Amino acid sequence: MKGFIRGFFLVLAVLPLVWVLYSSLKPGVDILGSPWSFPTSFRWQNYGKAWTEAGIGSAFGNSLIVTIGTLAILMPISAMAAYVLARYKFHGNRLIFTAFLGGMMFPHFLIIVPLFLLLRDWHSLDTLHGLILVYVAYSLSFTIFVLSGFFESLPDELAQAAMLDGCSDAATFWRVMLPLAKPGLLVTAIFDAIGLWNEYSLALVLLPGADHRTLPLGIANLTMTQQYQADWGALFAGLVISMAPVMAVYWIFKDRIYEAMLAGSIK
Amino acid sequence: MKRTGFIVGFLAPAVLIYLALVLVPLGQALIFSAYQWRGVSAKRKFVGADNFRELAGDHDFLRSVTNNLWLLVGAGVVIIAVSLVVAHLTAAPGKSAKLLRGFSLVPQMVSLVAVAVLWQFIFNPEGLLNATLRGVGLSSWTRTWLGDSHFALAGVGVAFAWYAVGFYALLFGAGLRNIPAEVNEAAELDGSQGWHRFAQITWPMLWSVKRTAITYLVINVMNTFALVFLMTRGGPDRASDTMLTYLYEQAFVNSKFGYATAVAVGNFAVAMILSLAILFFLRRDPTSSQNRSEA
Amino acid sequence: MKGIFQWFAISALAISVVGCSQPAGSAKANEPAGSTAKELKGDLEVVAFKGGYGLDQYEKAGKEFGEKHPDLKVKVTGDPRVWLQLRPRLVAGTPPDLMFPGWDMDVWALIEEGQLKPLDEALDQPAANGKGTWRESFDPNVLKLGQKDGKTYLLPYYVMTYGWWFDPGVFTKNGWTAPKTYAELLTLCEKIKAKGIAPITYQGQYPYYMIEGMLLPWAASIGGMEAVNDAQNLVPGAWKSDALLKAATMIDELNKKGYLQAGAVGMSHTESQTQFVNGKAAMIPCGSWLPSEMKEVTPPTAKMQFFLPPVVDGGKGDPSTMLIGVEPWMIPNDAKNPEAGIELFRYMTSLPKAKEFVETKNTLMAIKGSDEMKLPEVLVPQSAALKAAKTVWSNQFRSWYKAAEKDIEGALTSMLNGELTPQQFVDRCEAAAEKTRKDSSIPKYKVS
Repeated sequence: MKGFIRGFFLVLAVLPLVWVLYSSLKPGVDILGSPWSFPTSFRWQNYGKAWTEAGIGSAFGNSLIVTIGTLAILMPISAMAAYVLARYKFHGNRLIFTAFLGGMMFPHFLIIVPLFLLLRDWHSLDTLHGLILVYVAYSLSFTIFVLSGFFESLPDELAQAAMLDGCSDAATFWRVMLPLAKPGLLVTAIFDAIGLWNEYSLALVLLPGADHRTLPLGIANLTMTQQYQADWGALFAGLVISMAPVMAVYWIFKDRIYEAMLAGSIK
Repeated sequence: MKRTGFIVGFLAPAVLIYLALVLVPLGQALIFSAYQWRGVSAKRKFVGADNFRELAGDHDFLRSVTNNLWLLVGAGVVIIAVSLVVAHLTAAPGKSAKLLRGFSLVPQMVSLVAVAVLWQFIFNPEGLLNATLRGVGLSSWTRTWLGDSHFALAGVGVAFAWYAVGFYALLFGAGLRNIPAEVNEAAELDGSQGWHRFAQITWPMLWSVKRTAITYLVINVMNTFALVFLMTRGGPDRASDTMLTYLYEQAFVNSKFGYATAVAVGNFAVAMILSLAILFFLRRDPTSSQNRSEA
Repeated sequence: MKGIFQWFAISALAISVVGCSQPAGSAKANEPAGSTAKELKGDLEVVAFKGGYGLDQYEKAGKEFGEKHPDLKVKVTGDPRVWLQLRPRLVAGTPPDLMFPGWDMDVWALIEEGQLKPLDEALDQPAANGKGTWRESFDPNVLKLGQKDGKTYLLPYYVMTYGWWFDPGVFTKNGWTAPKTYAELLTLCEKIKAKGIAPITYQGQYPYYMIEGMLLPWAASIGGMEAVNDAQNLVPGAWKSDALLKAATMIDELNKKGYLQAGAVGMSHTESQTQFVNGKAAMIPCGSWLPSEMKEVTPPTAKMQFFLPPVVDGGKGDPSTMLIGVEPWMIPNDAKNPEAGIELFRYMTSLPKAKEFVETKNTLMAIKGSDEMKLPEVLVPQSAALKAAKTVWSNQFRSWYKAAEKDIEGALTSMLNGELTPQQFVDRCEAAAEKTRKDSSIPKYKVS
């Protein structure tokens, strides 16, 4: 009995996406006309159209640059900050930690206007490097929060042994502790990456132009641009293109993600 | 001294970026809310608390707040209920449970944009839902879902619930795993099962996860933007308008940046008040009063 | 400083006209004289809205202009949502030299904030062909739409006409004719409905199509232009006048009689227009861009023809009244090379270039005489209507008072959903107008 119920929820979760997948191979008119029908022939042109004409290809590239660029900066500096906050006592430790935590509390929209102006002043509006900086800043809260938990749980003896051997604090971190925290780093990076890949609101306001659109903006643009709203086929193909990498990453790492979420959620 | 250098050096990059791009804009946001500013030039006019006065009497804003609250109660209850069920279903060992566990998070992996497009399509007058209703002979039930003021907000709520359940199921699943085996065994021996066991034993023992889940839910629902914006733009006639879609309208359509920031502050206040209320109401662990523990 | 430049420009022009200058090899007989004379150099940046008409015509004009002015480097770029890009540039003070920001830019806010250059001096100079002033080359009805306090800030380019569309093939086959009056409309709709086709569809997600296709034209037909002008001028009580109430009742009547397509209230513009081109609906209110917007998805057998909204029998208004709209071009005050921008636009609005745009894009232009040619078939009814129109107007309210417009649109959606009676609808419109009247931070304008 329980198996059937499980099957029901499984279908509920997955069916819409499966439907998007096979609909992406139908001509747009058919998607609206006969929604449930299976494609009679596979219209791969939808993908070509989405990739080139609708700009999904370049949006994909931009998202890739932004996500990797953000992680490349975010992970090292978060790890460093989280390590210090987790394992060293000093004045202001609690204050700084709480300040980082507080960042998760308020909506990005609160500061969208000042942020917009700030980037404008730095001549970084409508640039990928500007968006990367913003993404780094706004991912710090979550990343430091989770990583500090991981660093806190690492045994003291190893660090002490390294220090006794003559390693400085920094060397201990880079040579001993950081490698130990690899699972935590991996999982945090994956969560960050998924969030960054799918981020919409900030990108909408900070990337006003067409040149540097990230994938969510490209997809949203597909729905809003006049010529394409009638072309559901290309839209769905675009959706599949944007979901594919995330699904792939998720499927490969899903067990580790699950374990990490369990560990982090009980606070 | 060397240690201080180490600490500062390690903290500096993160702290500096955070200060410049998060904390400073936050401060500025509070300042902007005291100005009238069109956002098409650098000219601004100081108006003090006028924006907030206007906000307090702004029926459209207040309506958007009630919409957020409706979403919270409506979608929220559904999400908690369904995720509890899914959590129970995935707690058991075995293949089908593992499969469900793997797939239930899949909606979370998809961006909100994709969720919005997908569900907009499902709710389209010629879309999946109506086609299915016609197919099973329920043509009279078909509607212009997202264009109907009675259903637009609910439509957004359904999309949001579909997206969110997997995450909360995971949270509750973790909570269930943390209920000590002895408690479950004792309950079995006592003959407590099903609804009774859930209500009397499981639910109270999930209090910390409950607290986390509900707080997180509140923050997410109060801050919902992308889904509403893309699915209904707040329509029809503001039926599904939320605080943040209202904010967007004030800033980018009406060119009232100062007022928009005041809306943002209002939104933050509502979310904060609710979160603190929840943390207050669920502050005590109900199970600890049953065990003898230090006060 | 400006005076010196003007003097220089005029004398340069004078010298060139008197002196040699048609460049060798310019083949076209109506090549504008004197356009090569002005000494323009540096960079010229043009940013334009990339919509149904694309960018190619502007790029071509930019290229041709650049060839005439070898010291000038012309760059033309654009985007479907170009206003989002332009806004931060305007705030930062680094806008392009010539811009066409598109339908979602708050151009009146730009005027208020002093971001746009008044162009009257340039207009008083000769047109590109040397005959008369540049100002005189424009249709005055259209030119006046870009003025505030007598100063011109916005210049028109193409002109959009608003009306209804039907498929003449389908109508002829069924023995129907496009309705001229509301009474005819009702009879026709009954016949169409009997055939299982939706008589009228509309773009429910964008209520301004209905406002500009039915509500306001009908109010004008019933109460004359004063009814609409008063509403646009925020005259107290104007939005719930008898004319407006009657117009709203007419829309409600169509709705209650089932003549409006079910589900249209939730349709986007492309969705409802697709219904029209696929023959599922017989008529649709839309602007002159309909054929080019739906080009890709119109079945080859479908045809579309423009006609003015049916008038109200016995109404006060002039039946030839026509609603138009413009998407203006402008020169930012902070532009680095405004003279070049002005001259490029002068070139773009020269008669031959305007005619070229009419031919290639199937739209009417704001330049006088640009429709004197063998018009593309789809433009014939529009041009005829425009020529015959004794009264021409534009819905400037929508650009001036965005918050009120949103309220009115929302109220219309609710009325179409059956949640408001026509009286309640006009009451809400009036309330919206009152709110705007009272808000001193919103600048007020008057219809010219």
